[in-house]
Amino acid sequence: MSPLVLAAGEGFTPPGPEDFWWPIVGSDASNWTLTRPAVVALFSVALIAWFFLAATKRRSIIPGKLQFVGEGAYGFIREGVGRDLIGSKDFRRFMPLLFTQFTFILVNNVFGIIPLIQFPTMSRIAFPIGLTVLTYVVYHTVGFRKKGFVGYLKDLVPPGLPTWIVPFIFLLEFVDKFITRPLTLSLRLFANMFAGHLLLLVFILGAEHMILDLGPALKVAGILSGVLAVVMTFFELLVEVLQAYIFTLLTALYIGGALAEEH
Amino acid sequence: MSTPAPHRPSDDGREGPLPEARAWNIVSTLLAGLITFGGIGLLCDHFLGTSWLVLVGLLAGTALAFYLIWFRYGTR
Repeated sequence: MSPLVLAAGEGFTPPGPEDFWWPIVGSDASNWTLTRPAVVALFSVALIAWFFLAATKRRSIIPGKLQFVGEGAYGFIREGVGRDLIGSKDFRRFMPLLFTQFTFILVNNVFGIIPLIQFPTMSRIAFPIGLTVLTYVVYHTVGFRKKGFVGYLKDLVPPGLPTWIVPFIFLLEFVDKFITRPLTLSLRLFANMFAGHLLLLVFILGAEHMILDLGPALKVAGILSGVLAVVMTFFELLVEVLQAYIFTLLTALYIGGALAEEH
Repeated sequence: MSTPAPHRPSDDGREGPLPEARAWNIVSTLLAGLITFGGIGLLCDHFLGTSWLVLVGLLAGTALAFYLIWFRYGTR
């Protein structure tokens, strides 16, 4: 029996996947139930739109605070992700996609630890899947357009391989580009946000239960758990920013790979 | 945005992506090798009634992925 199950026997309900189901309007599991992540996602869009409208409203050579932050974030994605991973010839037309993805994921992830909001949207797997579908469609479309249908598939295999091994490599690369990539892209984001939020729940709910309901020795453990919850919250912030960056980086990498000639 | 791109010395004539950037693909190639050939091994096991082909598939897939990584990133 796991410690969590034992604890559950003493009147403590351990956090689980059901903590991620937050209906607001309508409570059945129908497709039209308005949920907390949906509201958070809509709020994030409004927030991002407001921020960048405000940041670009009064532009000046000497930037104000908002303009400085906005341009800093944009420059970071433009130079460090777009130009480096797609190349200075083609990256400009993908900047709207990359920057939107980055800001959307970043804000939604960080919402996981903002008081009152405290829900990482990406811990509901539909959101990462939606973002991944966009990336997937874009990089394959770009590749097929640039190289043609046969050319794109041919380009999966690097030239100069021994002939007998080509079919195997083709199969490997095909599975990589058409199945593993979208799978890992969406699961990485989802799992990081899901596990991180669950971890925080364990520490915080555990601390609450031990301090309020249990004996003096466990009260000390509860305080320790509470302190760790604060530490883990900062750790979560790191993970949240990192995951937003990695998602954008991989999108750019896949687009760059679809455009680049194999030689 | 009206700000010009800052001058970057590393840009010299390079139009494509950074060559090092491709290293990000390595993990997903390894994973694809495991999934593809492990999966084929599993299917063969299922239909032939054997139980060792999945291991052969996993090992062969990993070997093939390593070979491709070496060929693509190590030789050029």
